[in-house]
Amino acid sequence: MSTDLNTSVEVTSDARGGELPDEAFAVALASLDATTTARLRALLHGRSAQAAFEVIVEGRLPAELARSHERDPSLCTRWSSAARRCDVSELWQRCRDGGIDVYVHGHIGYPDALVDDPAAPPVLFVRGDLSTLQRRRVGIVGTRNATPGGLRAARGLGETLAGHDVAVVSGLARGIDGAAHRGVRAAIERSVAAPPVAVVGSGLDVVFPREHRDLWDWVGDHGVLLSEYPPGTEPLPTHFPARNRILAALSEVLVVVESRDVGGSLITVREAMKRNITVMAVPGSVLHRASRGTNQLISEGAAAVLESADVLVALGLDTRRSGGLPFDPRREPTTADRAVLASFGVDTLAVDEVVARCGLGVIDTALAIGRLESEGWLVDIGGWYEPANSPQRWT
Amino acid sequence: MLAAIPTAGLLGTTGQRIDVEVHVGPGLPGFSIVGLPDEACRESRDRVRAALLSTGIAWPNRRITVNLAPSGIRKTGIGIDVPLAVGLLVAAEELPVEAVRGMACIGELGLDGSLRAIPGVAPMVAELTRDDRLESVVVPASSAAEARVGAGAALIRPVTHLRELIEALRGEAPWPLVDEPKPGGDPRHLPDLADVRGQPWARQALEVAAAGGHHLLLSGPPGAGKTMLAERLAGLLPPLDDRRAIEATMIHSAAGVALPPGGLVRYPPFRAPHHTSTAVAIVGGGTQNLRPGELSLAHGGVLFLDELGEFSTPVIDALRQPLEDLEVRVSRARSCAVMPADALVVAATNPCPCGGGRPGDCQCSEAGKARYLRRLSGPLLDRFDVRIAVGRTSADDLLSVDAGESSSVVRARVEGVRALAGERGWLNARIPPGELDELAPLTTPAREILYQELERGQLSGRGLHRVRRVARTIADLRGEFGMIDDDHVRLAVKLRVEVSAVTRLAA
Repeated sequence: MSTDLNTSVEVTSDARGGELPDEAFAVALASLDATTTARLRALLHGRSAQAAFEVIVEGRLPAELARSHERDPSLCTRWSSAARRCDVSELWQRCRDGGIDVYVHGHIGYPDALVDDPAAPPVLFVRGDLSTLQRRRVGIVGTRNATPGGLRAARGLGETLAGHDVAVVSGLARGIDGAAHRGVRAAIERSVAAPPVAVVGSGLDVVFPREHRDLWDWVGDHGVLLSEYPPGTEPLPTHFPARNRILAALSEVLVVVESRDVGGSLITVREAMKRNITVMAVPGSVLHRASRGTNQLISEGAAAVLESADVLVALGLDTRRSGGLPFDPRREPTTADRAVLASFGVDTLAVDEVVARCGLGVIDTALAIGRLESEGWLVDIGGWYEPANSPQRWT
Repeated sequence: MLAAIPTAGLLGTTGQRIDVEVHVGPGLPGFSIVGLPDEACRESRDRVRAALLSTGIAWPNRRITVNLAPSGIRKTGIGIDVPLAVGLLVAAEELPVEAVRGMACIGELGLDGSLRAIPGVAPMVAELTRDDRLESVVVPASSAAEARVGAGAALIRPVTHLRELIEALRGEAPWPLVDEPKPGGDPRHLPDLADVRGQPWARQALEVAAAGGHHLLLSGPPGAGKTMLAERLAGLLPPLDDRRAIEATMIHSAAGVALPPGGLVRYPPFRAPHHTSTAVAIVGGGTQNLRPGELSLAHGGVLFLDELGEFSTPVIDALRQPLEDLEVRVSRARSCAVMPADALVVAATNPCPCGGGRPGDCQCSEAGKARYLRRLSGPLLDRFDVRIAVGRTSADDLLSVDAGESSSVVRARVEGVRALAGERGWLNARIPPGELDELAPLTTPAREILYQELERGQLSGRGLHRVRRVARTIADLRGEFGMIDDDHVRLAVKLRVEVSAVTRLAA
């Protein structure tokens, strides 16, 4: 009985196979349980996706997968039964409904930026405009647990780079990644700027983290979202290191804004170094855990990013004119307010601490802080205040 | 023979008159008590019997029926011992009927015949004396001062022992005289503001909160002195006015909280419930006579919620409505109690679970921090007009010997502002939005700053009103009673920090 059923399914999928493009079978292969990048690459080596799918349905494994077979003898039967159960046309329909394009490595349309990469994803899922990848590209990555200063730096970098027609590549994670793309969004909302590129570790219809849903959709609508995972794939922890290699491969320059001494950003750095991609890092306080990784990178020889223009210089897009600083729209503080501002140095202080440092009365100090904040010289972080970076540097 | 002695029960913070009717008649010796008594009332028989025997009076060996009228409501508690004993003696013709005319009794009996205090004597007496025909109320001697608060024109007869009561009623001895404690000074032993070293900004916030009646939120790392500051807030408030004092006394009496010598709660109370308290403990309620909660106990004074983020969500949500209405409404299937709850709320919280404080020092993950702040954020945070970050005091300040201003100096300024508010008709924090333009008019520069804040999205419409009220208080404190100018508004905005700004910055 069950044999009959299997046969009939096979017949239908065969019957529709004529109408389905080869990419549909690539989606099916990528969706199989226990598919890895290496296995997928081996399956698609020298044969069409449809041919590879039929080999698996028949319960065989191509010669290139002999090693996998040794390690996991049941792989062949599991794949075979999964492939028979698999409704190729439904998977394909799901991609088309989600506005997701599928590109197979070596076929027409596969992005040039990735095609020569040694670890290029065999099947690439794309939402948005793939021609974005033809622009200059800079990767911005960093920790999910960023400091407010790090978030501002990432945001400023994203905004400046996009404003100079450089596409910002990032991973849509919490913290630095999200801040960089928010900067891009600010630049695009203000004037013409380069669209964003995001590489994610889940299916393109599985938003992670959930609070980035608006950003996720915005990147898909204005730039391009990439993933090597078929629709519906959950964001498993193992996906992110693999995602990072694509992110690195797509970057001409990789900027790490903040990173702890261990973390995913450093995996991206390693992948970038393997590919001879310039790695730059934003220095931070030696006291903050969030800048330990980046400071370490600088001490190991990564170029320090002291202002956004440093990244443009690394790309060969030096826009700095000789002499004259860009116009600072902030009104000059009065002499008294300037003294209050000077008492900050580079620290983050509560009102009481400012009073202790500047020697003014509490009311006068608070008023000065209020004026400095509304003019943009100070930033309020939940009742603590720190001096704002001057606009010519980070925005 | 029949006798009826009035007494009272308690529902929330008000008394409920109960008449204890005792009938002693022929029939088989027995005792029954009707009128929905609870177990404590039922046990009254055994206490009264033992107390009478200890006093040397024989228990009438006849058919005794006791009715607690009105018989429809359930009687709870222990206050019916004394009226039951007196009623029984009158019905058994041991006491003359005329002696108990116009007299009510309240109190519990010990087995030796001594009268014991019960909670709620003040509201009970207040309820009983609404009846003009009542001339005197017998209360346990230890509750005498409390009883006088609600007595009005009626005579309070403090008694320590059942024997004294019987002798006085028989006319064999005069009513006993009881030494009563004289009303003293401030009994709260509140710490003084002079103990706080440094922290001028936090002091400023305390002063504004006290003067305008603005709820206050202190956010800062552990050891910054949030608790120390909050405990000093009650000491900055002026003594309660007569109406408030009586309301507060009724509440404290009903909850069985020790009253100050003299009975009347004259000074603003300070209540600091632990963060494990239940919603019922905070807002009041319970299954029996609906006890007032901590919020009502802080009526006229300060309710301090330390570690606000650790309070359970139902507790925090339960606080929202009473903070608007200034009273707690507890409804149960059989009864409903309305209890006054006009307290100044001061809360303290760490900015994140690790308490790291200063941005960047924190070890928490972004997600953990967001989770922590989510409990705080929203409607409750919005009700804190004054919100400041408190930093750790510097070593110089901690070791310095010059004390800051003491509580009494600050209190004098607070009283000035509050007196002014009394003339205006509204405490600054309560000025209705419609009257703001009249009571707190803005100068053009002030208007501009508010406009900027609204533009930047730092302020909501409701936040705008609150900033204007705080600005009114700041202006009053500086003796500038007219227009609100830009400095006042700027300070008011500074006193309203966004606690979740660290996480919001990413957005």
